[in-house]
Amino acid sequence: MKRSTVIFLSLFIAGALVFWAVRKNDVQQKSGLRFVSLAWQERAIATNKSIVNEWNAAHPDMQVEYIQGTWDSAHDYLVTAFETGDVPDIFHYESSIIIDYAMRGYLTDLSPYISVEMKKDILDVAWATVTRPNGEVGGVPFLIESLVVLYNKSLLEKEGIVPPTRQHPWTWDDLRTAAQTLTKDTNGDGVIDQYGAGIGLRNSANIIMNTSISFGGSFFKKDGDHFVVKVNDEEKKLLQTIVDMLYKDKSVAPASIGETGAGMIPGFFSGRYAMLVGIGSWGRQQLVENAPKDFRWGVMPLLKAQTQTYGASTQTLSVPKKSKRAKEAMMFIDFILSSKNTARLALNDWMIPARKSCLSMPEFNDTLGGWDITCSSVATLGVGSWVGAPGYVEWKSRVANPVLQELFAGRISVEDAANRIEHESNNVLSRYKKRGEVW
Amino acid sequence: MKNMSALSKTAIHGLIILYIIFLLFPLLWVVASSLKPTQEIYSGSPTILPQQITFDHYSSVINGQRIFRSMWNSVIVGTFSTILVVLLAIPSAYAMVRYKSIVNNAILGWILVSQIFPVILVMIPLYVMLRYIGLTDSLTGLTLIYVVWSLPFVLWMMYGYVKSIPLELEEAAVIDGASRTQVIFTILMPLLLPAIGASALFAFISSWNEFFFALVLMKSPTLATLQVELARYTGMEGQSRTGPLAAASVIATIPSIILFIFMRKWFTTGLVSGALKG
Repeated sequence: MKRSTVIFLSLFIAGALVFWAVRKNDVQQKSGLRFVSLAWQERAIATNKSIVNEWNAAHPDMQVEYIQGTWDSAHDYLVTAFETGDVPDIFHYESSIIIDYAMRGYLTDLSPYISVEMKKDILDVAWATVTRPNGEVGGVPFLIESLVVLYNKSLLEKEGIVPPTRQHPWTWDDLRTAAQTLTKDTNGDGVIDQYGAGIGLRNSANIIMNTSISFGGSFFKKDGDHFVVKVNDEEKKLLQTIVDMLYKDKSVAPASIGETGAGMIPGFFSGRYAMLVGIGSWGRQQLVENAPKDFRWGVMPLLKAQTQTYGASTQTLSVPKKSKRAKEAMMFIDFILSSKNTARLALNDWMIPARKSCLSMPEFNDTLGGWDITCSSVATLGVGSWVGAPGYVEWKSRVANPVLQELFAGRISVEDAANRIEHESNNVLSRYKKRGEVW
Repeated sequence: MKNMSALSKTAIHGLIILYIIFLLFPLLWVVASSLKPTQEIYSGSPTILPQQITFDHYSSVINGQRIFRSMWNSVIVGTFSTILVVLLAIPSAYAMVRYKSIVNNAILGWILVSQIFPVILVMIPLYVMLRYIGLTDSLTGLTLIYVVWSLPFVLWMMYGYVKSIPLELEEAAVIDGASRTQVIFTILMPLLLPAIGASALFAFISSWNEFFFALVLMKSPTLATLQVELARYTGMEGQSRTGPLAAASVIATIPSIILFIFMRKWFTTGLVSGALKG
């Protein structure tokens, strides 16, 4: 009996001690501004922290606490924060979701706080991704996400293929021809071991939407105050081109169907894919930091269809409506997104800076790392008609990605995919229409 | 017949070995990735074992992020919630088994319902309640959430264990003059040790692996738990810092392994073996 009592009492005392320790560890730091950043690469995190430290050194009475968020969980984290009112003062995210937050009334309209200098220096196409028709601004865009085509220089040279230049970009037909030439059974065992291209098609809605503009499509059409989805011949042509490359030419690696752009990179290093099509410009960082020493690569200008115009999306800094320090938060945004700091952030995240003054800096016109060609794409960036469509984020995950996965896996035809996208999309969008959310 | 038996034994052992390899493979892969240079991780022809060993990822993890701080946070939250859950579950399970009442079925129903309730639905009201009593952004608040979250299932486990202990054992003790408290502490508790071990391990691992509550409730970077810290190695569009993530994951696994080693013998003990004759 004694032993059991001792065990029970020991557990109880241990519990009490731990409780005391836990209470003691509850550091309720209520500092100045809270900044949630989604930077995740080592150098990008270091840059963000360094800028925050510089701000804190210069503003002892208005300290900023750096909080590192994560891309995968940012939405849950932020929505809970918006609903409960315990919000960060500044947060980093991307334009397509910011639009949704703005429509739901979660964000401070930053338009009264934006300086003339910032307004003028940030590209119009970047502002268009976060500005409502009534002039309200949901966030300050600072990085532009653009798609690039990466290629293996050695493999192209071996086949005598001359890569395109900014003045003479490739069309999709040029890409198909080159991809067919580059698709090979190199060891003669009857199995293709080098594909002309790899395209990360696992969640392909982003690539397809942004590329569709160059085909003259855009999926979303305005119908009065609301949006409907139409898959016309232009959109179908893009889908058919990729399907043909996969199944007719067999010049796109089948692994593309289940992989993301990032997941295709090891195969690109090993020479399994001669070109990586439609990967984000951030992909260059992996190449610079992780490619084998003898690996030679380059960046191609955006592929031309009817035009060379691609949809732009941006990374942004926003201020929640429930933040009580919107003015101070905007002062910090002004600081972290100054021309000099935007350049630092863009260089370390391997993305295009949204400021014109940065784009003229030598770093962003360097051939090394493909900065020159990547940044030149801003000239042809456009804004998709889906910007501002209520329910777009849900549409992407519940309709576009699953249907496109089935299409590229060869389970349905382009025509079936088009019909399903139209039918299922309008079911989703009509729900938002009933809610009365308008951009 | 003997030959057949030997053959069956070999087949069974072979299957077990295959199963162990299947279970160990992901762990081996993570350990190997944590020791490979980044270029080798991204190699198009991956190997299971590293061709070149580097500890750079470990040093990056140790120097770069608050891995040990977050691990400490997870340890204290996990330990405290486990102790509380077990202390609450034992008497509750005993009362449910030995004192029959109409409430019992309702409690069992509540346990089942609580297990199928999506976290996201309770998150906002829970957050508001915790903020009202000043327990958001607090390890105490998170501990209490974990207690509430794992208590139903631990109670369910404990209910089954207590129910399997024959009432005759207690009756014998009562005949010998033991009080109800003495019965619980001297008769039940020793027999429940394997159950307590299993339940405690379940409660600890539940809180150790929990992500969403920790993400939403803990705002200060210094209070982040291990799972939240690990998620910070992943980026957008399926990217991740694979080497540091693997190294951090290996470090994160160590406390669970240590705990399991210490508690292993509790599981191998039969619950009531030899308690009754005949």
